[in-house]
Amino acid sequence: MTDKSIARPAGYKTPWEKLRPYIYILPAMFFLALFTVYPVIDMVIRSFEKWNLVATPTWVGLDNYKYIFNRKEFIDAIWHTVTYAIFVVGLGLSLATLFAVWLSKSTFMNNLTRTVMFMPHVIALLSVAMVWAWIMNKNNGLLNLVLNFFGLPSLKWADSSDTAMMSIIIVALWKAIGYNTMLIYAAIQNVPAELYEAADLDNANSVKKFFKITLPMISPQMFMLLITATTGSFRVFDTVRVMTHGGPGTSTQVLVYYIYKQAFILNGKVGYAFAAAVVLMAMIGVLTLAYFRVLSKRVHYQ
Amino acid sequence: MAEIRFEDITKKFGDKVILDRLNLSIEDGSFTVMIGPSGCGKTTLLRIIAGIGPQTSGKVYLDGEDISGLPPAKRNVAMVFQNYAIYPTMTVQENIEFGLKNNKVPKAERERLVKEISEIVGIGDMLNRKPSTLSGGQRQRIALARAMVKKPKVFLMDEPLSNLDAKLRVSMRTELIELHNRLKTTFVYVTHDQTEAMSMGTNIILMNKGIIQQEATPSVIYHDPDNLFTAQFIGSPQMNIIHFDDSAVCYGFRPEKVHLTNEPGQYFYTRRGTIVTKEMLGSETIYQVRYAGNSVMVKSLEDTFEQDSEVYVGVKQKNILLFDENEMRIRPEDPRYDGWMQKL
Repeated sequence: MTDKSIARPAGYKTPWEKLRPYIYILPAMFFLALFTVYPVIDMVIRSFEKWNLVATPTWVGLDNYKYIFNRKEFIDAIWHTVTYAIFVVGLGLSLATLFAVWLSKSTFMNNLTRTVMFMPHVIALLSVAMVWAWIMNKNNGLLNLVLNFFGLPSLKWADSSDTAMMSIIIVALWKAIGYNTMLIYAAIQNVPAELYEAADLDNANSVKKFFKITLPMISPQMFMLLITATTGSFRVFDTVRVMTHGGPGTSTQVLVYYIYKQAFILNGKVGYAFAAAVVLMAMIGVLTLAYFRVLSKRVHYQ
Repeated sequence: MAEIRFEDITKKFGDKVILDRLNLSIEDGSFTVMIGPSGCGKTTLLRIIAGIGPQTSGKVYLDGEDISGLPPAKRNVAMVFQNYAIYPTMTVQENIEFGLKNNKVPKAERERLVKEISEIVGIGDMLNRKPSTLSGGQRQRIALARAMVKKPKVFLMDEPLSNLDAKLRVSMRTELIELHNRLKTTFVYVTHDQTEAMSMGTNIILMNKGIIQQEATPSVIYHDPDNLFTAQFIGSPQMNIIHFDDSAVCYGFRPEKVHLTNEPGQYFYTRRGTIVTKEMLGSETIYQVRYAGNSVMVKSLEDTFEQDSEVYVGVKQKNILLFDENEMRIRPEDPRYDGWMQKL
């Protein structure tokens, strides 16, 4: 240290010292701005423009929003998305928790079962779409054979507007359950065994042990899963695209499929697509915020 | 209020036999300390009493009642775990009253008990805090309170002090002794720390490889060991053990029973040797003395002997213990005793 620096009053920093930390983070900030912040701002701006992918965009103000909110198709798409999310998140997480608890003992069969359950997660959806098309075939599909076996009538599955959404939800659950189970299983393994022994001595039954010990102890992982599963289901696209193309009619048209349709199937509706994308982003944002507000106090971090 | 009796207890983990047909009684109202090296089966035995690691075969009786098949909660025992096993997601109050709630104790009664017990262990002002905000010593007290609030017949403690720092451990030791004196309940305490065992226990059970080596008061365990294992396990530095020439029979004496002198003294056992090392510990000094191929430890109040100097080692006959080829003690009333003593 030089004499000059000792003479300086405490806390004083030269302009260079003040600037230096910002220069260190500049590269990261640059790419973040370029690839994350800019596209979002651009999306919002373009949602106020009329554009057909070719001609020069023209400013139309809130017209795009007025248009989509006045159409039943868009409102329906929101409801389809919400329905899908409620089932996939709600059922997906509760079933996964159930399986994780059930398979928590490390035996050969349990390990095998967990591995098999995880497989859908690593298989590309496109390649299993064919299999599901066969399983859900309205004439001689596996699911209908099972229904008939129990004396129940056949369903048309993805071919009927009554059951198409259910079919998509089933495939989504099938795909997500192994991954969720694996994460919850890992979380449960980290709960110290003495806690359960202490609970045994405290006369806690298994339901009590689950709700008073297991669930609070795995709450950080559950919270993380809840948020990723929710945002994931709001952005669902591939299952719909592959299985139903949003149909029959618009019965399985979810928000992202609606956006895709406006932009790439119906020519020149890019403005509507952008407006819908902004609405989707706002919904996910509000929901995530709500989760943090309502639930984060109940999440127990070590 | 509660005597514990084990009858032919066997415990296996897979093919590994930890305890084999063990029989033991733990006296009512005693502070019984189970001690032994790791893997000796002491914790296994404790878990068998608690019912959280049931025996493979055999029976456990509490006050004459067969509790072998009872679930942990129905046994009227409470346990303090090594790392406390505090429920981290509950407040201190919730931790203490969890068992009471499950046992459907009315709210008013619960509040009264929690208040009373938390005052006794000195955590009365932290009932609403989460365990993560508390120190190790305070968590230890929660674990104690959680056990005490159930008013059990037996307290089981699995190395409860091993996670505390040295100073706190000493003060908790005193508190536990006081607690036992006040409650007059049976305490079963597992440890591998001989200081804890000697200072707290009214009764010590020394185990090795699933077999009880000796069961006695601390004083008997120290001064009158049944076998070589006991003699060597308790005491620091260890008892000096020297084999007779070409024999599995050996004799031993404790380091503090040795008198060091510059001239040969009037002792039953006298040897001349050289001081190899000297450790000055303050009130006492530990010397290592070597003679005739043997090396013995000597604990002395004198710190005047210098390293490399020649000294005389002297031990009285009553302080020399004999052990036979099976490592069992040869006591003075044994016919073999005089014969071996002559050889010294």
